[in-house]
Amino acid sequence: MRLHPNDDQAMFLSALDQMMQGKSAAWRTSPQWDRYEWSDAFDRELEESGFLDCAIEETLGPVAAAEMTFRLATLPIAVEAAASALLRPKFAADLPRPLAIIESDHAQAIRFLPVARSVLSLGGDSIMSALIEPHAVASVESLYAFPMGVLKKALDWRPLNADPEAVRAQWRVALAAELAGALKGALASVVSHVRERHQFGRPLGSFQAIQHRLAGAATKVEASYWLTLKAAQSGDSIDAALALGYAQDASTKVVYDLHQFMGAMGLTLEHPLHRWTYRARLLRSSLRGSINNLRTVAVERWRAA
Amino acid sequence: MDFDWTEEDRAYRARIREFLKKELPSDWDEISRHGPGSREQTEFSLQFCPKLAEAGLLVPHWPQEWGGGDRPTWEHFILGEELWAAGEPRGAQYMNVNWIGPTLMRFGTEEQKRRFIPEMVAGKAIWCQGFSEPNAGSDLASLRTRAERDGDDYVINGTKIWTSYAAMAEHCFLLARAGAGQGKAGIAIFIVPMSTPGIEVRSIPSLIGHGDIHETFFTDVRVPAAARLGEEGEAWSIINYSLANERVGIPRYELSTRVLNDMVSELKQRGDFSDPVVQARAGSAAAACEAARMLVYRTVDMKARGDIVGAEASMARVAVIEADHAVTDFGMEFLPDAFNGRSHPAFLAHHERAIVTGIAAGAAEIQLGLIARHWLDLPKGVH
Repeated sequence: MRLHPNDDQAMFLSALDQMMQGKSAAWRTSPQWDRYEWSDAFDRELEESGFLDCAIEETLGPVAAAEMTFRLATLPIAVEAAASALLRPKFAADLPRPLAIIESDHAQAIRFLPVARSVLSLGGDSIMSALIEPHAVASVESLYAFPMGVLKKALDWRPLNADPEAVRAQWRVALAAELAGALKGALASVVSHVRERHQFGRPLGSFQAIQHRLAGAATKVEASYWLTLKAAQSGDSIDAALALGYAQDASTKVVYDLHQFMGAMGLTLEHPLHRWTYRARLLRSSLRGSINNLRTVAVERWRAA
Repeated sequence: MDFDWTEEDRAYRARIREFLKKELPSDWDEISRHGPGSREQTEFSLQFCPKLAEAGLLVPHWPQEWGGGDRPTWEHFILGEELWAAGEPRGAQYMNVNWIGPTLMRFGTEEQKRRFIPEMVAGKAIWCQGFSEPNAGSDLASLRTRAERDGDDYVINGTKIWTSYAAMAEHCFLLARAGAGQGKAGIAIFIVPMSTPGIEVRSIPSLIGHGDIHETFFTDVRVPAAARLGEEGEAWSIINYSLANERVGIPRYELSTRVLNDMVSELKQRGDFSDPVVQARAGSAAAACEAARMLVYRTVDMKARGDIVGAEASMARVAVIEADHAVTDFGMEFLPDAFNGRSHPAFLAHHERAIVTGIAAGAAEIQLGLIARHWLDLPKGVH
């Protein structure tokens, strides 16, 4: 049991942190005040660094990939890392990215589809992949802080030679990492607000009502993070469903509290809080949401009991 | 990062399980049902802990100089996990092992060490902790019990409350005001034999089992100055050091996990586990236990590396409380009748411990305040 990174992981993560400080990853005010921001430049930097393939590096592994996904999700801009870091290297290394994921057969808007170059479908008996051809996608106007889109025409689907259960378990880890990171980013922005903002002659963050709820939120975010890393390493499907179900359950109350403490500033498009919270709201429903993921934990864990 | 146990760790765990299988009697659940401070469990621990000591499983993490084995932090922690999973058969003696012994080693005089440590190593010492008072609970620094210097002695007067183990303990690790210092700076620690004239112990009937909590009255209790641990005014820094040890890595979630497993087995036997609602709630309780486990592991990892554990310990405690409550709620919601009668002593024991978790050793709200201050770096509040 060693919960701190090895030397290679530490070096990798510090290089990642540096890249995340760069101009292309920064929150920019945009004249249109879009609900999300996508940075082609940052996506290219990330791809060219080769970081997204760390899951198959022996000394880095899926734990480093989950940690990277978590950290990237703390950025206010939307980054397609979860599928590229946790699914692509192991199961679909030759597919071009950004990579969009379709979770079920229901026709619905898919995140990252408007910027994606290929897509994986996880809903059926076997995993299918397809390249996205020109004019195959229509953008969808959405509350959620991702580029969202639908398929306009049928793609050339090919089956992927991978165990669907293993892919779905890994996808749960990826989603858990992304959700925990989005919550962590949102929490940090609210904590810095309540440190600065004074009312009644005191910083908001000195009020116990606010302190206790933020401390509770921080505890849940930390627990989500550690459950995710453990699931990344173990590759166990119960660990994966548990990490995702726990983070999804935690996100409900945390998201409301964070908006509450940001006050009216959190209603504006010019403050980035919504970029994290609306991503969290969509991730919360992934793979049929908290209740279903936690039920999966129980069914698998006590199958033989 | 590596979340796997080593081969050595696994073998050590297997050895402890083997020992417990052999040494815990078949009616252990019934004994444990009486609560950690009861006469039944204390008497049991006085039989059981010497056997643990004999097997080298009582203080393996202590230095060899004091009868330990200098074993690593994680090994000591595995021992704690297995004993908690079994319902903590060490009873009161976990305190000696986890913090009173180490505190004596660090701050005690040679005489105090020689006098008290060998009994602990042998598994024969029962202590109680004289901290809380009727008007000093979470605000411990406002305590009023006073130790007045009188020649070579101190004379102690005051009242302690909620004292676990007091009826059976031989010694009290007592906090009292001594000297001229104010607030935290005016407190000293005394090691008081519970047989000293002037001490009266009354059991407080409670929800958590018979004989578990007490009121302890000190009337002109005379102890020699040599009973003082550390200097006058030093108590606060000593107990901060000690409790930082106590609060790191208590694996209560392991008992919750075991009880949750038993509850699911019971529901399966009754044919009630196919209900998706029951399954979802069981999964949610399991997730609360695993969340607590990971946050506790994080503190143990820090301790093993020699880092100072701060707000991380408070987060672990908050998560442990949530896990305890999630399992209790699950049981009472779907197996209400199992909390009647005596057919499920382990459920009762877990429930009784769970209702204390958020209160003992620093209330949950104190932990949340520490997280806000030291993890989120929020400004000190006016309470």
